[in-house]
Amino acid sequence: MEETVVAMEEMGVDVVAAERESQTIEMSAKGVSVWFGKRKILENVNMDFPKKTVTALIGPSGCGKSTFIRTLNRLHELIPGAALAGEILYEGQDIYRQDVDPVHIRLAIGMVFQKPNPFPSMTIRGNVLSGLKLSGMKRPDHDALVEQTLTSAGLWKEVKDRLNAPAGDLSGGQQQRLVIARALAVNPHVLLMDEPCSALDPASTLRIEETIRELSKDITIIIVTHNMQQAVRVSDYTAFFLAEENQPGYVVEQGLTTEIFGNPRDQRTLDYVNGRFG
Amino acid sequence: MTILMSESPPVLEKDLEPLRPWSKRPASFWLAAFLGSVVPLAILGALYLTTDLAVALLLIAFYLPMQLIGAGLAGYFAKGKHGIADSAIIVFAIGATALSAIILGSMLLTIIVRGIAAFRPSFIIQNSTYISPSTPLEYGGIGHAILGTFLIVGIATIISVPFGIATAVYVTEVRGRAVPYVRFFVQAMSGVPSVVAGLFVLTVFILTGVLNTSAMAAAIAYAILMLPTIARTAEEVLRLVPEELRTGALALGSTRARVVLNVVVPAARTGIITAILLGIARVVGETAPLLLTALKNDQTVLNPFTDPISALPTFIFDNVAQPYPDAVTRAWGAALALLIIVGVLFTITRFISARKPRR
Repeated sequence: MEETVVAMEEMGVDVVAAERESQTIEMSAKGVSVWFGKRKILENVNMDFPKKTVTALIGPSGCGKSTFIRTLNRLHELIPGAALAGEILYEGQDIYRQDVDPVHIRLAIGMVFQKPNPFPSMTIRGNVLSGLKLSGMKRPDHDALVEQTLTSAGLWKEVKDRLNAPAGDLSGGQQQRLVIARALAVNPHVLLMDEPCSALDPASTLRIEETIRELSKDITIIIVTHNMQQAVRVSDYTAFFLAEENQPGYVVEQGLTTEIFGNPRDQRTLDYVNGRFG
Repeated sequence: MTILMSESPPVLEKDLEPLRPWSKRPASFWLAAFLGSVVPLAILGALYLTTDLAVALLLIAFYLPMQLIGAGLAGYFAKGKHGIADSAIIVFAIGATALSAIILGSMLLTIIVRGIAAFRPSFIIQNSTYISPSTPLEYGGIGHAILGTFLIVGIATIISVPFGIATAVYVTEVRGRAVPYVRFFVQAMSGVPSVVAGLFVLTVFILTGVLNTSAMAAAIAYAILMLPTIARTAEEVLRLVPEELRTGALALGSTRARVVLNVVVPAARTGIITAILLGIARVVGETAPLLLTALKNDQTVLNPFTDPISALPTFIFDNVAQPYPDAVTRAWGAALALLIIVGVLFTITRFISARKPRR
């Protein structure tokens, strides 16, 4: 071990920095390319997601952001004809290794979708606890869990008196916060959000952004958004995706959100964040 | 700077009444509508009084076309060219609906009027042991046939529902490689004549000695007929469950099995109940398979494996052809009982499926 470290130091590798990085990086994508059938959607994406940070994925429609986020918890493979190259590391291990059960990955890496999708056959409370039921996970004290997750999602005050009402009775914004609570109830380490506010009004959007900021104290969040202001408001890091017509998407620029929006290196990033195209 | 908004809503001089300005029509419209509906009716009356043609023929061959023409003309005079199609379509829809309502209604009425003559408590409760076709209505009943129908349809439901829903789940959830073939096969099976299902059970189960002529044999024949209906309807309703619910459940770390059992099937619950109901409705009046697999029995049979058994369709079939008025009335009574059973069943399931989600 000692020898290796010395050897690596001799080769000019900053061992301390590498060590620190492995502790602070929750997930990373290494050379990820994605196909649907013969069509290549994404080209060579490399990205690190540090622990307890928010990363925003921005870019015009059809550049592969949503596809990329779905590779991070192995939902991508459910689409017929899907293919992938490269590695997605979670806690240092490739999630696409043969012996990895996608069910465990999806349990640790939760997801909130563009359209609120509460289970219509269940109550509000049933929806919050549905992850436990569906994954067979055991967590003590369901009442406290329901209150805690609904509070984190900013919905508790509005629904505490009608937890047994059907989830379908809630408004769109409330439903989206309910599915966030549902995702939190299984205690994920990472939360993927695919345009979670695109169907919501400004007030609900603001509530969810507050929720995201609050949650990032405990978990890592990766959010796809078309709303530039939202990316500025909620994220620590930003990655800008772009795809030329009929070409696979790629990452033009990534880094601290303040850099991407305040001082981008690439002209295309500057144009996009200033709303000049896309 | 003045504030433009007044502090309270402006006070109206008098209360407004709710109006429907879009339903105001010119007098010419009402005149045209009156003529368009009264003239055909008058011609119908005249034809009825002066000719010997049957009422049904008059209605279909004369009244409906005249109504269509009348409506078209009325629409033309009131609204111009585009009014013709508007009025004709509305009148045709109303006319056709009314016609089918009349046909179904008169059938229902006939069954009720003729069947009610047989109805008395003993008719529902008793069986037909020692009853001959000429025995007065005071004696004997259809209790054994009602039980027989329940027994056969019940067993058939227990057999066909799991298979039907499993087939639908295979097609919509498992999405295996055989899906096109399974769908084609199920579709083809829904065209199997009921007598063939009966013959199949007769040759495969009864003549080989596996089963007696019994409720069980009849239930298998019924199940063969129910399966395609349940599978196809369940497939349709499972297809309606949004894909987002499936991915949502998978994103929560759910296994495929739990997605199906806890999310997809409950979301489609009402539709699946409808599928089962349609399956039952498909077979409950089927007579041909019973004649080959269950025969008849005047006594009450509770064991589904041992004896021949009567059900309501076979009871009707047996009695309606007898040259005794009381036997025919019994057949009508049994038909009424069958109608009531189906009606009650549909009402109960509608009620159950309308319930709110559970805790």
